[in-house]
Amino acid sequence: MRGERRLLHLGEYLVGRACQQLPQDVREERYQEWAAELPAILHDPQVRFAPRRAVRMLGYAADTQRGTIMTPCTARGQLPRLCATANVLLPVAGLVVVALSIWSIVRAPGNGLNYLRLAWGLLIVAYHLRRRVRSAGRATTLLGISATLAAGAVLLGEAAQAPRDWVNYVLPAVVLLPLLVGLPLAWWLRRLQARTGGRHAAPSDP
Amino acid sequence: MRMTGPLERVLGAFVADPAVPRYGYDLMKAAGLPSGTLYPLLARLEHQKLVASAWETPQQEGQRPRKYYQLTGEGIRIARLELAQASARRRRAPARPGHPAPGSLG
Repeated sequence: MRGERRLLHLGEYLVGRACQQLPQDVREERYQEWAAELPAILHDPQVRFAPRRAVRMLGYAADTQRGTIMTPCTARGQLPRLCATANVLLPVAGLVVVALSIWSIVRAPGNGLNYLRLAWGLLIVAYHLRRRVRSAGRATTLLGISATLAAGAVLLGEAAQAPRDWVNYVLPAVVLLPLLVGLPLAWWLRRLQARTGGRHAAPSDP
Repeated sequence: MRMTGPLERVLGAFVADPAVPRYGYDLMKAAGLPSGTLYPLLARLEHQKLVASAWETPQQEGQRPRKYYQLTGEGIRIARLELAQASARRRRAPARPGHPAPGSLG
């Protein structure tokens, strides 16, 4: 009996640790929900052997950690505030880029880089508008990738205006390299997901 | 709604008897999913108002109440539609080399 109580305490500790990653307003509710399942798993009459039930209970408790990471409202420290700020600032920045590009095009209609900047600004705005309507999905992903590629193209175009200074290429590399690494990785993960029928799939937006 | 394997299993578990509220561990067993996969899915379905949740009234002193999930009316409609579409897609999809379609052998 005492061993059982210890196991439950361990499970509750693991669930509590996982819940610390959640925002304060949902933390307590999630803890109550997940902790309430622990005794039910430990006393599950369908699982015959007690050690197996204990392992299942601890597995459940440990895996809530992954659940909190994948839950959309996950928060840790300053990150959610930063994300919220970025969500407001980036569309505004996109609109500023659009306005400045239009102004530059009017002043110098022959400069191709201004049109590229305009496309970049429009893509940023479109991406954020689309995200508000639907946070995930193929169109949202494509808009995000296009906006990043356009940013890289703009930075490369600016760097090409002073081609001998290699420092100018650092920023485009910082923007484009993660995308060039991330896209094949995402493609490979999707293929793996399709091959395994979703067994390895991270739960995405339903 | 992008249908993934885990989502299909969760919706399948719900649709098996949509009138019955299900709690997390029950759904885990029915869908064969670990908690780290199930709960984010439930959170998203709830956020999309396809699933509603309610706390049970504890039957014993000191017992923690459990949270029960149930498909909403709209959830039942969409779940049935999506499951039917996923099933139709699977029937239409040609068998991959080395993975013959069920029933095509012998």
